[in-house]
Amino acid sequence: MRLRFQRRWAAAAAAGVLLSLTFAATAGAQYYIYWWQQNMPPNGLGYDRQTAHNHIYNELVFGPNAGWRSEVWEVTPAGYRHFDKWCVGNCFNAHPGYYYTYAFCSNRDGGTHFVYDCKDQW
Amino acid sequence: MLAAAAVAGLLTQLGLGGSDRVQIGNGSVSALARAARAADTLPQSVLDYPFAGRNFASPDGAGSRLLREQGSLKLYAVPGKGGMLCLVEVDAAADTAGGDCADRGILRTGSIYMADRQEDGSRLVVGLVGDGHTYAEADGRRATVENNSFVLDHVEGGDLTVGSATASQHVDIGG
Repeated sequence: MRLRFQRRWAAAAAAGVLLSLTFAATAGAQYYIYWWQQNMPPNGLGYDRQTAHNHIYNELVFGPNAGWRSEVWEVTPAGYRHFDKWCVGNCFNAHPGYYYTYAFCSNRDGGTHFVYDCKDQW
Repeated sequence: MLAAAAVAGLLTQLGLGGSDRVQIGNGSVSALARAARAADTLPQSVLDYPFAGRNFASPDGAGSRLLREQGSLKLYAVPGKGGMLCLVEVDAAADTAGGDCADRGILRTGSIYMADRQEDGSRLVVGLVGDGHTYAEADGRRATVENNSFVLDHVEGGDLTVGSATASQHVDIGG
């Protein structure tokens, strides 16, 4: 009985350590989400640093007359693009929540905003 | 006032396609007019996104139509606010969803599309086109338009052509 308890405790402890390492690695990783719109100058990317969140949803809003081509993409710590979506007008992209990231976006005012809040009036 | 109107006109020409571009149809989408079926209802997960409330003509996605089902991928057309039309893609296997809403006028000169990069670097292009369009083509491969929609997989370049039996339109899909 005592041996069984010790094995369970050891298994639980190992799982806890593994979980901690997983979250630590994920939270510290530099995943970035970028956004681009057709009427912006080339490489005109801005960014807004907020607390890293586990983003599962990104939305670009340009208003009722939306028609510009846009792109939203994520760059992993290794430097490659994980998801990369091109779209027309107001767009959203929803994906599994398995990473933490900062979000980057800029708009026609040249300012920087959280990607979730890109608006046509800026 | 005059300058503002001129700028607005220029932006419209650049963004939505000017009169010098080849036009096909009048922007109508007959798939939206067919009788509704149970399968036309958008998944609740899509309706729960803020995007739905901001862009769909009705927050519950009323009027949506399932355009195409290909493997685990489903494409929907949804009436949008203020003359917009929306394309929604849902991939149950990948646990992903996406959508875009744009001025319906775009359908006269091109397509409301989405292009998603795949692991091999190519892109999956899905699109909504107006009545009159019969095909979409990229990299020399042609896909038939069905229910105002098309799917083109493994697209390498940034050029897409949509057209009818008598006319074709170039769409720059970037990348």
